[in-house]
This record gives sequence, structure tokens and C-alpha cells, in this order.
Amino acid sequence: MKQRASWLLAGVLIWGAGTFSEFSWEKIRPSVPEIGRKEIEPSLGQGVLLGILGGLRNIVADGTWIRSYVYWERKDRAACEALMRTACALDPRSRYFWENTGCVIGYDMAHWEIRRRGGYNKVTREIQDDIFKKYARHGLVVFEEGVKYTGGSPSLLISAGQLSEIKLKDSLLAADYYRRAAESKGAPWFSYFLCAKAYWEGGKKVEAYLWYRKQYIEKLLPMDDGSPDDLNHLRYFEEELNVPFLQRIPRQKWEKRI
Amino acid sequence: MKSSLTRIFWLARLTFLEAVRQRFFAFLIVLGAAMVLSSFAFRFLDFGHGELKFIADFGFGGLFFFGSILALVMTAQLLFAEMDNRTALTLLAKPVSRTEFLIGKFTGIWVVLGLFVFVLSILLGVMLWGRWQELVILAEQSAKVAPQFSLEGVFSHALLQWFRLGVVTSMVLLISTIARTFLFAVVVGAMTIVAGQLQWLAQEALFKPADLNPLSHALLWLASRILPNLQQFNIGDALALDPGAVMSGAVSSALLSGGFYLIAYLFLASLTFKRREI
Amino acid sequence: MSDTSAISVQGLTKDFRVGLRGLKLRAVDNLSFEIPRGQVFGLLGPNGCGKSTTLKIILGLVAPTAGKISILGYPSATSEARQRTGFLPEAPYFHKFLTGRELVRYCARLSGVPTAQLDSAVEEALALAAMSEAGNRTIGTYSKGMLQRIGFAQAIVHDPELVILDEPTAGVDPVGSAAIGKMIHSMREKGKTVVLCSHLLGQVEQVCDRIAIMDRGRLVLEGRVDEVLARRDKHIITVEHLTPAARVAAEAALQSHGAQVTSITHPRRSLEDLFRELVTGSRDA
Repeated sequence: MKQRASWLLAGVLIWGAGTFSEFSWEKIRPSVPEIGRKEIEPSLGQGVLLGILGGLRNIVADGTWIRSYVYWERKDRAACEALMRTACALDPRSRYFWENTGCVIGYDMAHWEIRRRGGYNKVTREIQDDIFKKYARHGLVVFEEGVKYTGGSPSLLISAGQLSEIKLKDSLLAADYYRRAAESKGAPWFSYFLCAKAYWEGGKKVEAYLWYRKQYIEKLLPMDDGSPDDLNHLRYFEEELNVPFLQRIPRQKWEKRI
Repeated sequence: MKSSLTRIFWLARLTFLEAVRQRFFAFLIVLGAAMVLSSFAFRFLDFGHGELKFIADFGFGGLFFFGSILALVMTAQLLFAEMDNRTALTLLAKPVSRTEFLIGKFTGIWVVLGLFVFVLSILLGVMLWGRWQELVILAEQSAKVAPQFSLEGVFSHALLQWFRLGVVTSMVLLISTIARTFLFAVVVGAMTIVAGQLQWLAQEALFKPADLNPLSHALLWLASRILPNLQQFNIGDALALDPGAVMSGAVSSALLSGGFYLIAYLFLASLTFKRREI
Repeated sequence: MSDTSAISVQGLTKDFRVGLRGLKLRAVDNLSFEIPRGQVFGLLGPNGCGKSTTLKIILGLVAPTAGKISILGYPSATSEARQRTGFLPEAPYFHKFLTGRELVRYCARLSGVPTAQLDSAVEEALALAAMSEAGNRTIGTYSKGMLQRIGFAQAIVHDPELVILDEPTAGVDPVGSAAIGKMIHSMREKGKTVVLCSHLLGQVEQVCDRIAIMDRGRLVLEGRVDEVLARRDKHIITVEHLTPAARVAAEAALQSHGAQVTSITHPRRSLEDLFRELVTGSRDA
């Protein structure tokens, strides 16, 4: 009787430990982004790899990335993307993997697809455009994912903006990405101009000027050199929009007369 | 109770002395330290993960990998050595219960693993802290954002790893009390560690709204109850390099969970060991 | 079960399951005997007769299939019984990095010797085992005889009422064997019960008060040594200065009373006695 009670108690203890681990895992999971990623869950291979590596994920990610270039060179779309995404999954905080995966998918893979279908002479222009857009949108998904895991990397946002501009020919979408980049922490100085230019080219000229002007006064003008290139761009916008002189940005001492 | 604790203390003390004298322990601690130190030399090979992350990854990887091997092999070896050399016969003929014997063994091994984890963590912590100081100065000079680093996070991770290895040790002790040979205990133990690392897959699959047949559901339920979730102890990156990403109470709940597993497996091991003929 | 018994074994049976099909192998078959307190008891038998299994069951290291065992009135395998028992296993192996003194001290701690009495208990046990001088050497440097003696010291350090010795002289030279014999005698003088399991029948005969012989898991003989060994139909007369004439006269006198002289030989000392006479010490001493 006592022995049975002991075995029963052991069962209860194991069951209790297993149940409590569900509770603790809920608290731990957000700290391990590579573990919580839904997109890798269906892939058992990646899940196993992630699972058995307690550390050493970076070095394995590096190895995976190097290997992905073998498939890149062979233009093997499926294998290349799988390995690149595995590298991203192993180290989701790395901007480098996301940026290059997005670029390879968004720029290179469309060419591989066209070549696979018989080349540029055989595939009509319309279909080529569709293919470019399809892969560009796929690349944007990767960039968006990367932005989420890297805490809003401005570099990824700018790459997404460029892809939207070059392949999707969507200046307003690009402007949105550039604007997010310009408003994120550690934004590069050129992101403001890129955003304003994309809005301008997308037809939102007034919005482009007003936003750029605000950013210039608040962020660019206080910089050491006063950002003369941005002021030049703004002067161009003022000229184009015929902004009355009194409403224009006051003339700076160091500014050359256009 | 006091005499029982005294006996456990002496059993643990002897186990500790025996374990630290083993060349295997010295070999693994040197190998682990070499891995931590070498990360500094290899950090230029990384693909933009960030230097600190690369060093931390190497160090945490060394702790995880060599710690697991040490916990697995040392536990099985020390228990089988006691039985094969018949020293267990001498000890268990004394007023030492089998539960005390197992707890003494476990405690001695766990202290050795603690030594292993904390020596390597101190080494890793010093290396990360030193390089972080340099990177902060470089970031200030180039007006860039300095990387985050928490020395406290390194030691929280060390504590988590120590508990993880404690769970592994109790699990291997349980297997060793059933196994007939050292090799069987090591092979099954290694498989159980890998399964424990993947337990989260079963745990999460169980709660996904998918069409699982009753058998798969039962198997997943059983796996998520019997196997420990070892993945929950691997949050070194977040603790050391991005402390803000860790939910409050996450470390303590993982430690508590480890403690529950540890007690459950030790209790079960003491029941199976009582049935074993020495 | 008697309160005067050091060990009481009643109907002990042990079956081992062998192979995948779980065939039963009976190692001990319905064994019953009692060992009185304060005596030296020899358990004899050929290899595989179930002696070691019996000892392991008595010590609670192996569970019996059937039967009851009590040690000094307590059920075996209980802490109370083990507290009062000392055990020296066959070919003992101890942690080589410990010194003899550390080992005995460690065993004293495990056996619950109070801290205040620890030093004296350790020194007393080492002295009884003639290991005081070698006590500070690591066990890895000990000879086989010294290993047995340090094993003996660890078995008696907590002053047990019952000491179980499994093949204490196996592989030990006659000098070491005699030293162990002396230790057994001194335990008897202290009123302890000693159970000795040995192949050396000569030694068992010399030191034991009672013996039991096992064969194929069963008890085939049990009793006092002098009772079981005596041949009551034959006698030995030892005579000094026996001349041929005296011999003839003595034989005639005995025949006249109906006695028949079957042999007249010179008494022999044992080779062990001769060896011990010639070899006064050893490297171990």
C-alpha cells in the first residue's frame, strides 16, 4: 500500500512539474524570439536544429549562411531561401541576415525565375513585371519580419523602401518605409531626403515639403554643419511649390544664394 | 533528520572529491575555457551579429555543450563505478538509506557542475564586460549607439544553466538506476537530453488548434509531462545582451520549474533504486 | 525468533529471474538458522551455493523472495539493524585518493558516530586493525592485506554488535590471515557476534564457534565446530619418548580391553604454523 502511494506520488510530482513548465515557458518564450517564431514551426528540421542548440546558434547560423551562397550561385531558389531563412531563424536579431535575405529574394530570385521560364526574350514584358513584383512583395515580407525582430532597424526599412521604389515602382509605399526609417532610433541623415523625394515623386508634393521642412528644423539644422544639402533640396521644393518668401525657411548665414 | 542530512553531506563531499579529481572534469573545464577564450579571436568571422553577441554565443554554447556532456557522463560514471567497484555495497550496508545515497550523489555532482558553470561564467563575464567597455568608448567616439550588456544577466544565465544541469543529472540518475550498463545509461541519457531540448515542440503543438488524432494527442501530452522542458533555461542572449526583452519573473519561474523537475526525478530515481539489487 | 539471536533467518528463499523469458533461478531455498549472540559463526559452502546472496539479503542489499530475517531483534534492512552491524565485503575496494584514516573517519560519520567520540573511535578501530601507522597513507598504496585490515577497521569503527566478514582472508598471505584471525578473536573477547564467510576451512575451524554449510542454496549442516568435527568412535593419544618396547606393550594393553590400534604416526604441525614461525613479519606490519 505504502509502495503504491509512493509511485502515485512520483506520478503526481512528474505531472506537476510538467504542468508548471507550461506556465514558466509562457514567461520565457518572448525572450527567445527564435523559439517563438510561428513561421519555422512547420519546419521540423529547423525546429530540431534550434532545439538542440543551447548556444552556438550564431556560429551555426554563419555556417548556414555560407552554405546558402552555394545555392545562390547555383540559382537554386528553394534551397537558397530555405537556408537563408534558417540563418534568420537561428539569429533573428541579426540585421545582416534579414537584409541580405530580403534583397536576394526581392532582386535576384525574379531573374532566376525568368531564366527558368526560358529567358527575357521568351517571357513577355508583362509577365516579367508580374514576376518582379511577386518577388519584391515576398522580399518585403522578409524585411517586415526582420524589422519586427531587430527592433525597427532603419537599415532594413530603407532597404524595404528601395525595393518598393525600384521593383514595385510604388513611390508612396517607399515613402512610408523611408519615413519609418527616418523616425526610428539611429536614423541615417539621408533617410529624410529619401522620404521627401519619394513623397514628391508619388505626387504628394506639399506633404513632402512640410514633412521635410519640419524634420530639417528639428533634427537636421541643429547638426554641426547645418545640413546644407538638405537645405538645398528644401530650397528646390520651395521654388517648385512657389512658397512665399516670408514663409520659407529663414536664410542661413552660411547659405549660398541659389 | 539531522543525522540524515549529515550522511547526505558526507556522501556528497566524497562524490565531489571523487569527481573533481577525475581527468574528465579537468579536460572539459579546460576545453570549455578554451572555447570561451577563443571566441575573442574568432569574433571577426561573424556576419554582423555584433561582437558581444558572438562572444556570448560561443561562451553560452560551451557551457551548454560541455556542461551537458559532463552532467551526463559524470553522473552515469560515478553511479556505475560505485556499483561495479562494490563501494556501494560497503556504503549501503551502513545506516545509509538508498534515498540518502542518491541525494548525496546528486548533491556532490551538482556542486561540481556548479563549479564548472560558475568558473566558465566568470571567465565569460569578464571577457564580455571588458570588450563592452571598449565598445562603449568606440561608440561614443563615433556617435553611435553603444551595445547593451548586463553582467548580472550573465550570472542569472549561469544560475539557469546550473539548474538545467541539475535536471539533467537527476534524469540521468533515474536512467542509471534502471540501466544495466554504463553505455546504455549514457546513450539513453543523451537521447533524453535532446528530447528535453525539443519538449517545447510537443508542449506548443498540444495547444495549437490542429486536427490531432487522439493517439497523437495522448503521445504529445505524455511527452510534455514526462520530459523536462530544457529549452526554457537557454535565455542567455536575452539576459546578457537585451535584458529589457526578458519578462519579469521569467528567471525565477524557470528556476522553480527546474526545481520541480529535479525533485520529481530524484524521487522517482529513489523508488527505482530501492528495487535494484546491488 | 529468539531475543538472544544475533541473526535469525526463517524460511529464506531467493529467486533470480534470468534471461528475457524470466526463467527462475533459485539461489537460496527455504533457509532457516539462528546465530547466537557473542559467537563467531562460519558460513561455508562452495562457490555459487548462495552464501553471498544470503549475506546480501541479511544486509538488506537484496530483497528476499520469501522469508523473514531479523538482526539483533530488528527487521533486517532497517536503520536500527544496520546501526548495529559492521560489514567487510569480499575483496573490498575503497576510494584510492583517501587515506586509510580519512576512510575510517568517513565511515564513522556515515554510521552516526557522535563528533565527540569520532577521534577516539577512529584511532581505536585503526589500532585494532593494526593500521595506526599506515593510516596516513593513501589507500592506493596499500597491499591486499592492508586493504582487508582497513576494511575491517571501517566495519568496526562504530562499535557494532554484529560484524559480518565476507571472505576476509581471500588473497591475503598467512601472516595477514593470522592478523585477521587475531582481530576476530578480539571481537569475540569484546562480546561481539562475528559472521564469517570463508573458503579457508582451516581458518574457519580455528576461529569459529559454530558453522553452517550450504550447498545449492540449502543448509546441509549447522552446529558447534567441536561437535560437528568430532569423530566419537576414534581417539588420539599423543605420547612422548615412545620406545618400540613401550609401543608393543601399549598396543597389547589396549587390545586386551577390546580396543584396536589402527595407526600410529608422528603429529604434524600445519604448514601455516611453520610459515608463521619462520616469517615473523611482513612489509605491511
